[in-house]
Amino acid sequence: MTKFHIKRLVGLHGRFLNHFKSYLLLISCIAMLSCDSLVETDIPDSQLLSEGVFEDTTTATAAQLDLYADLRDNTLLTGSSQGITYLMGLYADELDYYMSSTSDPGEFYINALVDSNQYVNLFWDGGYNVIYGANSILEGLKNSTTLSEAEASRLKGEALFTRALVHLYLVNLYGDIPYISTTAYQENSKVSRMPVSRVYEAIIRDLQDAKQLLPEEYITADRIRPNKWACAGLLARVYLYAGKWEQAGTEASAVINQKTLYSLEDNLNNVFLKESQETLWQLSSLSNGYNTLEATRFIFEEVPPPTVALTQELIGSFGAGDLRLQSWVRAVSDGTQTYYHAFKYKEKTNTVTSMEYSVVLRLAEIYLIRAEAFARMGDANGATADLNSLHDRADLPNLSVSEGDLLDNILHERRVELFTEFGHRFFDLKRFEKAQDILGAIKSGWQATDALLPIPQDEFAVNPNLGSQNPGY
Amino acid sequence: MKNLHGKASLIPILCLFMITHSLLGSTLFNSTFNHIHNKALNPGSLNPVVWPQQQEVQGTVTDSRGQPIPGVSIQRKGAPGGSSTDLKGYYTLGASAKDTLLFSYLGHQTVTIPVNGHSVINVQLQQVATALEAIQLNAGYYTVTDRERTGSIARMTAASIGQQPVTNPLASLQGRMPGVQITQNTGVPGGGFDIKIRGTNSLRSNANDPLIIVDGVPYATETLGYDQVSGSILPGLGFSPLNSINPADIQNIEVLKDADATAIYGSRGANGVVLITTKKGRSGKTQLMLNAYSGFGEVTHTADLLKTAQYLEMRREAFANDGISPYPANAYDVNGTWDQDRYTDWQDELLGGTAHFFNASASVSGGDAQNRFLLSSGYQRETTVFSGDYRYHKGSVHLNLTHRSPNERFLAQVTASYLTDTNNLPGNDFTSEAQRLAPNAPPVYDEEGNLNWANSTWNNPLRLLEDAYLAKTHTLIANGTLQYTLLPGLMLKTSLGYTENGVKELKTSPSTAYNPAYGVGSESSAAFHNTADQHSWILEPQLSWEQDMDAHHLEVLLGGTLQEQKREQFGQYAYGFSSNSLITNLSAASSVYILNDVDTAYKYAAAFGRVNYQYKGKYLLNLTGRRDGSSRFGSGKQWGNFGAVGAAWIFTEEAWLQNTLPFISFGKLRGSYGLTGSDQIGDYQFYETFSVTGQSYGGVTGLQPTRLYNPDFGWESNRKTELAVELGFFKDRINLSAAYYNNRSSNQLVGIPLPATTGFGSILSNLDATVENKGWELEWHSFNVQALDFKWETGINLTIPENKLVSFPGLESSTYVNQYVIGEPLNIRKVFQYTGLDSETGVYQFEDFNADGLITTPEDRQAVVRLDPDFYGGMSNTLSYKNWQLDFFVQFVKQEGFDYSFQGGRPGGTSNQPLEILDRWQEPGDQKPIQRFTSGGYDAANRAYSNVRSSTHAFADASYLRLKTVSLSFNVPERYLRQVKCRLYAQGQNLLLFTKYKGYDPENQSISSLPPLRVITTGIELTF
Repeated sequence: MTKFHIKRLVGLHGRFLNHFKSYLLLISCIAMLSCDSLVETDIPDSQLLSEGVFEDTTTATAAQLDLYADLRDNTLLTGSSQGITYLMGLYADELDYYMSSTSDPGEFYINALVDSNQYVNLFWDGGYNVIYGANSILEGLKNSTTLSEAEASRLKGEALFTRALVHLYLVNLYGDIPYISTTAYQENSKVSRMPVSRVYEAIIRDLQDAKQLLPEEYITADRIRPNKWACAGLLARVYLYAGKWEQAGTEASAVINQKTLYSLEDNLNNVFLKESQETLWQLSSLSNGYNTLEATRFIFEEVPPPTVALTQELIGSFGAGDLRLQSWVRAVSDGTQTYYHAFKYKEKTNTVTSMEYSVVLRLAEIYLIRAEAFARMGDANGATADLNSLHDRADLPNLSVSEGDLLDNILHERRVELFTEFGHRFFDLKRFEKAQDILGAIKSGWQATDALLPIPQDEFAVNPNLGSQNPGY
Repeated sequence: MKNLHGKASLIPILCLFMITHSLLGSTLFNSTFNHIHNKALNPGSLNPVVWPQQQEVQGTVTDSRGQPIPGVSIQRKGAPGGSSTDLKGYYTLGASAKDTLLFSYLGHQTVTIPVNGHSVINVQLQQVATALEAIQLNAGYYTVTDRERTGSIARMTAASIGQQPVTNPLASLQGRMPGVQITQNTGVPGGGFDIKIRGTNSLRSNANDPLIIVDGVPYATETLGYDQVSGSILPGLGFSPLNSINPADIQNIEVLKDADATAIYGSRGANGVVLITTKKGRSGKTQLMLNAYSGFGEVTHTADLLKTAQYLEMRREAFANDGISPYPANAYDVNGTWDQDRYTDWQDELLGGTAHFFNASASVSGGDAQNRFLLSSGYQRETTVFSGDYRYHKGSVHLNLTHRSPNERFLAQVTASYLTDTNNLPGNDFTSEAQRLAPNAPPVYDEEGNLNWANSTWNNPLRLLEDAYLAKTHTLIANGTLQYTLLPGLMLKTSLGYTENGVKELKTSPSTAYNPAYGVGSESSAAFHNTADQHSWILEPQLSWEQDMDAHHLEVLLGGTLQEQKREQFGQYAYGFSSNSLITNLSAASSVYILNDVDTAYKYAAAFGRVNYQYKGKYLLNLTGRRDGSSRFGSGKQWGNFGAVGAAWIFTEEAWLQNTLPFISFGKLRGSYGLTGSDQIGDYQFYETFSVTGQSYGGVTGLQPTRLYNPDFGWESNRKTELAVELGFFKDRINLSAAYYNNRSSNQLVGIPLPATTGFGSILSNLDATVENKGWELEWHSFNVQALDFKWETGINLTIPENKLVSFPGLESSTYVNQYVIGEPLNIRKVFQYTGLDSETGVYQFEDFNADGLITTPEDRQAVVRLDPDFYGGMSNTLSYKNWQLDFFVQFVKQEGFDYSFQGGRPGGTSNQPLEILDRWQEPGDQKPIQRFTSGGYDAANRAYSNVRSSTHAFADASYLRLKTVSLSFNVPERYLRQVKCRLYAQGQNLLLFTKYKGYDPENQSISSLPPLRVITTGIELTF
């Protein structure tokens, strides 16, 4: 066959051969070259090679800020209807739901979650995606050669802070979870769940490191990136949740003592303004002129409310004359029926310059943390004094040391101070072991096992080491 | 045919049917036939390098009755170029005295006549049953006669496409070809189709698309749409890029399936190749053709849902079951807020409209032996079944010019099509709302004619009409071919192609779509914009050589490809307008965000070749190969080699067989084996990068890790084997073919699903798993009646596919353990085994596989449900009587699908339900298919409902038999007309559906997308 072919070719006219040769040459140029340049393309303008990102302060910072933006817009801390403020508010006793309960948010409201609920998935997926981002920053910084030490340690501190923060929310929602501290997917795809206590140990380690690395001053004037004291404030919360009262008190005091930076706003209407002196760390709005997603989510004008309103239980729990009810809650009525919405954030639409940012950590919480730490350690005076700092501002009479059960007072104070802020109420009910008593009494769907959310169903399908589903699902 | 119980039951019926047909056919046999397969190849002469003197040859070609045949192809054997006859059967051609002329015409015997110095050659062509010899199949880089092909190539002609009122060429192929499975995603105009050739090869669901080539130019099938803009109205990947090819401009569609046909496409041939050839100019008198049709379409198969009384009974029972009393404040449907007697048939209200279809086209063609042209233009319009003024319309121009030098050695050809379309749709599909809305929901408009929000107690479905989707696309496909014959048999050819697609998409969500109780105004209105552009060029030089020597025939092809494709996509989100009337204007928005700004390039280079050897016209050998390089792979992984060998034996050429079995008029055994590949993974996947996210924080735009990083992935490979037999009986009155194929895909390139704890859902990597697709493809084609006035043809195709995961080392410890099972198809679901109702509690029960007392995922999801079809196919019939022609086509699929009853909300909740759910548990002791109703207040029932949706109970028979196409046409007798031919026709698409499936349509099995519409049109075609 080949012989036949060649013999034919050889026997042909010269002109033909010349044509053939030149043409063959052209084709073999393409064929034989196999020259890789023919199939090489440049990186598109919309992407940067990873190693380059951490050789430049601007791009390295953009990677860290993106994690805050993600938390603000997409998962966990977002003020939208897929964040914990909204969904865990429904799940606990803060919000009533006025849309169809045959829906994924509706399942939160009636405490009938299934392990395929999209928001349950979103907390988990979104949370671990942010953790991946934090880990990739930590690893990128390790290999960076050009960033200054100050810049590198500041960014490292922020990344550790972010990693700890997200794990804190996940462990409180799901119970035992994996603590992820690398980007290696081979490792992360086979992880098993860690007991809650070990997750706390890891969170505390990260925050202690971050506290060493972060500067005392804010990097930008508007407190949208955590400094050392924001980190200490979060650490105080973590110690409190972990039952380490003494350390919680110490960290809280360290923050409260920064009197030049932080003070309780006298006027309740100023607490959530972006210049508030009470703020330890807040999430910047989408861009200048924008305000918070919380305001868009909660404020309504007509009755019955189109989506959610504050529960009667919450409204009824404010003490007589509590200014917080006047300033932070707004009633909407059609003359016969009255409904209430959260009014901590007042700017529903854009303003010329942004007025309000979403405040994640503020001094009032730090006072409450210290009050509880004192109370748990038996220092009733210290605890009462801290509670009264908030009572003063709310124009409520001071508590006396002997008045009622101190811990009950603290739980109550946390309820009316921190309502509709990042699921505080739900986490508090769990910590105080009151979830079953309080939620079980008013919510027909509540069961003891609802204290933990279900781990997304899909996770079990792809990670054989994840163990079993939380009880009740 | 309402019951399709199994493969076993249908096959005997088909066989019986075939036999009856053939018997009936032979008794009516009364026409003359010529045997066409006994042609042996004449040895050509090799010596004449000097070009001989040309002379003019002319003549007339007639049929056996002496009537002139227009369009007969006349070629000089072994030389390029040729001519064809005009309307009067007259031709003229330049030829030398030593030339031999080939006269060929579809359905007629090919005649070979040496010129021998004659200047007038009149020819009479005998009609034959089929003419495998005359059918030239396009195999991409070369053509081959049906008789001599060694590979698997299926073909659809303009005649069959023209019988169907479709806007997408893929729609016309549904059910027509064995091994080709096409599913329509939605009945909304402009929507997409899924096409799979010989099953699912890749574990990545979006990497099973075939390579599509239009006139030699690869046509990118990746959509330019952006799902944030189109997702809520056009499911899946948005609008289909193939909408931009006008079906009326298509001459043929060939589908290449086996290794022999696809290996020359190397790394892009794994999923098969679809070759679209557009119409070309013909010489002869200038001909003008006008064609127009119009008609209507509607949803025909809706679901039987609960009426108000039944619905309220369900709701009340649900609350009673849950022990909830009084009804909650937000249970507006049942607590007295809404009218308890009101009834709306939401399916009729929201989907009950009529879509109008209109199509008009005109074409002019003509030319002489040297120059030919075709210019055609078309316009098409389609409205929707939704209320409101929505329409999809498109216009196209198609041009073809061919020039041949007088000595026939040089040929230049240009083909260009330009198509632009505009698709104006509501922003959302109403199908889901139509099924879920409570039947006693309030009226959509209040007394003043405004949208009725009923005191915020519901989401008015017509709010969705406020959202609008608008897409405009334009597509240019151009290619030029230069061809020069260096010597007889040796040809140099270069083709250059250019395609450009542009799209602008816009979705507007004005504040008027929200309940006024939210208190939002135009400052909350939003608009999504997507602008995308893709252009690609390709250069393919080729050298081909053809030689006859004694009983040997040899063809050699060498070629190279250079291709580059660039793509830009720019998505923006505009928010906050001073007025809703300015919503389409970006500059009127208070904020504009960039959603994505993508800019990708793809480069591809290859060398390919083919050697075809034939001995005595009965032993055929075909070798093809390709070396491919692609920019989609990292350094060291860019190049790959692919190739195939195909062979055939036409055993009816053997004298012993002709003597012993004379009733076998044609018989061929063929087989092929080879390797193809796939690089459908998107660009830049091997880089470790950060991308711009578009989210801003403190005035800084964020950067985000793009993906998990893996630089080491390479080509997917697909080894294909095929064995086939093709038979013709009784002078080709009956043609049968049976093919067995076995394709094995390995080195699977997949986004391996990962747990979210890795930060991402998946990573791209080669997986050492093998997927096998094998099956049988059977075809029958018979000329049942061939009388002078009455003709009847039948074609049947049947595919029995089997898909299997053959091997997967380490499946048990891999992340796929709960997705796949070795020995099972890929398209399965691992689900709970439903065991019936607990008659005491009235809750669904499932098999507890691990006997731990709990029903959990994944431990107890061990039952396997297979979703691939068991078999599918179609049957076409063409009947003609004098001036009448009737075509009808039936498509059938035997498959399991998602049971409609379990796709909606939980029975007892606020969404409406199919009638079937009334057969439910009510009190202890009941044993029913549907569990107790619950409003959501009974956890065990909630969980059981969540589980039953992933159980064997949630799947049902989704087999169907559809009268897909009926076309009736009438040629007005010429005695009534002067110099004009007139054809009147009526066509129907998706006319009747026979199925046990309860939902809308067993084809797309969706509760959220509009089912395919029934379309009926009437039209007229005039030829001057």
